Amino acid sequence: MDDDAFRACVRSWLAENLPPSLVGAGGPGSEHELVPERIAWERQLGAAGWIGIGWPVEDGGRGLPWRQQVIFLEEYAQAGGPGRVGHIGEQLLGPALLMFGSEEQKARFLPGILDGTSLWCQGYSEPDAGSDLAGLRTRAVLGDDGQWHVDGQKVWTSLAQFADWCFVLARTSADERHRGLSCLLVPMRQDGVTVRPIVQLTGTSEFNEVFFTDAVAADLVGAPGDGWRVAMGTLGVERGVSTVGQQLGFAREFDAVLASARATGALGDPAIAARLTDAWIELQVMRFYASASLGEGSQGVEANIAKLLWAPWHQRLGELTMDIMGADGTVVGASYELSDAQRLFLFTRADTIYGGSNEIQRNIIAERGLGLPRG
Amino acid sequence: MRSSATSSPSADWGCPVGDSPEQAALRDAVRSLVSRGGADLWKRLTAELGVTGLAVPEEYGGAGATLAEVAVAVEETGRVLLPLPVLSTALAGLVLGASSGCGEFLPGIADGSLRAAFVFGGSLTASSGRVSGTAAHVLDGVEADLFVVRAGAELHVVRASDVEVAPAETLDQSRSQATVFFPEAAAVAVPDADPAVAEELLRVLLAVESVGAAAHCLDVTVAYLRTREQFGRALGTFQALRHRCADLAVLVASARATVYAAVSGATDSELLVQGPLAKKYCADVFWQVAAEMIQLHGGIGFTWEHEAHRYLKRAKTTQLLHGSPTELRRLVAERAGLLTSA
Repeated sequence: MDDDAFRACVRSWLAENLPPSLVGAGGPGSEHELVPERIAWERQLGAAGWIGIGWPVEDGGRGLPWRQQVIFLEEYAQAGGPGRVGHIGEQLLGPALLMFGSEEQKARFLPGILDGTSLWCQGYSEPDAGSDLAGLRTRAVLGDDGQWHVDGQKVWTSLAQFADWCFVLARTSADERHRGLSCLLVPMRQDGVTVRPIVQLTGTSEFNEVFFTDAVAADLVGAPGDGWRVAMGTLGVERGVSTVGQQLGFAREFDAVLASARATGALGDPAIAARLTDAWIELQVMRFYASASLGEGSQGVEANIAKLLWAPWHQRLGELTMDIMGADGTVVGASYELSDAQRLFLFTRADTIYGGSNEIQRNIIAERGLGLPRG
Repeated sequence: MRSSATSSPSADWGCPVGDSPEQAALRDAVRSLVSRGGADLWKRLTAELGVTGLAVPEEYGGAGATLAEVAVAVEETGRVLLPLPVLSTALAGLVLGASSGCGEFLPGIADGSLRAAFVFGGSLTASSGRVSGTAAHVLDGVEADLFVVRAGAELHVVRASDVEVAPAETLDQSRSQATVFFPEAAAVAVPDADPAVAEELLRVLLAVESVGAAAHCLDVTVAYLRTREQFGRALGTFQALRHRCADLAVLVASARATVYAAVSGATDSELLVQGPLAKKYCADVFWQVAAEMIQLHGGIGFTWEHEAHRYLKRAKTTQLLHGSPTELRRLVAERAGLLTSA
């Protein structure tokens, strides 16, 4: 199918199938919205073959070229498709198994991701291992029963309360730092797993703490001790995933902020008008950068550079939208219910922290991109 | 994992711009020629490499190439702040070459015997084949043989022999400026050229040049931080400095993506937005990188002997001419329809 026909096909499917109640739901800062409905939506996407469209055909994907993957993301964003709850399975676990999993693991786990029936969460960060991931302490010991027994605590785990499985990075030997780590596939629905929501500064809970107390897992990806290689390989995928769909989301957010400036009359303030124009210019620049780094593969530091462009931009947009609201921005609804502007303003404070803090991104660019010597 | 292209000028600082094989060859050829310098450089760039004729149609002695190839050459001349009118002359080849009725100028532009400068400012008027008025801050104006000027709603070509040129002493000594007086000067109209589009092409090329220059500033700064030691360590090991360099790399990479979006296939109507956008963004980036270059070099960066000040002065000059940041922001907002109240 050529690109235009593919686009038309995506567009018409979304027009016919996307429930109006889900349009725009579950975006950043609203990830707690309409979760059961969005879980059902994942199954609908999966049944229609829209999950893993770039995966190899022999692994159950459709083997579509990156151009068409981008077209899907563009159309999805254009239609206002809801924030995905299956993205960790599709964008993290799936690629990890495609790269490092056994044939048996692929056969067992990939179909559930592709049809949207099994939901995954990611267990990397810990209270004492944020940016310094190699310092993590969760342990897994191989028992006489042939199962791995997991003990420890993970933090900032999105969607843990809904997930069927967790992709856990744990220490399987006493070796120092990253050498003793392994990646385990841990079922979430068992006695040894407890999930506790974290109330964030937004008052909502997109993230959780997950406690493992003698939780059991049968599967380890790769060999014991391969965990760092697997996690870094998939971290690259996570950060390198096309930002095109994200760009369209940003464009929608910008349009909403611009509309609010029109509605309140703030657009008549030359300082606000200048900030809006600069934000629009930078939005175009991010789009140009996304297209320039697309198709080349993310072998270098493109994903790190992209993050240093979008995360601060998004924060500034959040600040701008509050300044447009003016005094009204200081009042919230009952039970601390936030407006879109307030949610954007508050939630974007996380953008420069998660997915590798911006300081970590700068370290990577300085070392790998610029070749500056380590201290 | 260290980048292999560290000591030589790095290719792209995190912005892969897919040169075609021909563009890559052109880039290498221009880079190696301008790095050697020499008194006959203009002749070699034009007669041997044909940089000013890149976009001149083949029947007039040019290469029949596009804005994208002109941009490759201009990025490389910008890298070294080459004090020769490559940008303006090659652009004249593009603009006049796309029009009819300018055939008399094209062979000279292509072979380098005619150097061009552009005039978009001033208050020039045109009537019955003559252009009158005065224009200040004409870049490359001192050595120009031809002036491509906007007068009224049209572009015209005026020969330097028909005008008075007063050279200016410039802050940036690597590019000349002149005040040009047009005393009812004989002019050849450029029939099917839109002056607004031509002006944006100039802005885009100034942006391209800024990207080349900014990339050079970053190259030199990173190389210095790698070798210069204080407190018994290379400066490049200090995180405060590493992070600043990373931020500069983000600026240069994004600026590069911005100009290449404009030079590879933007339509005329897209150029009306992308021209001011690219020039504003890239000149601002160039300014920030040049200013940081001085700070990160410390005292040596403040000397006349070091090249950093030449880049700082070019950056500020580029920011202020052909549309200040404020003016360009206004143009972008207007043309993108951002500030309409409806």
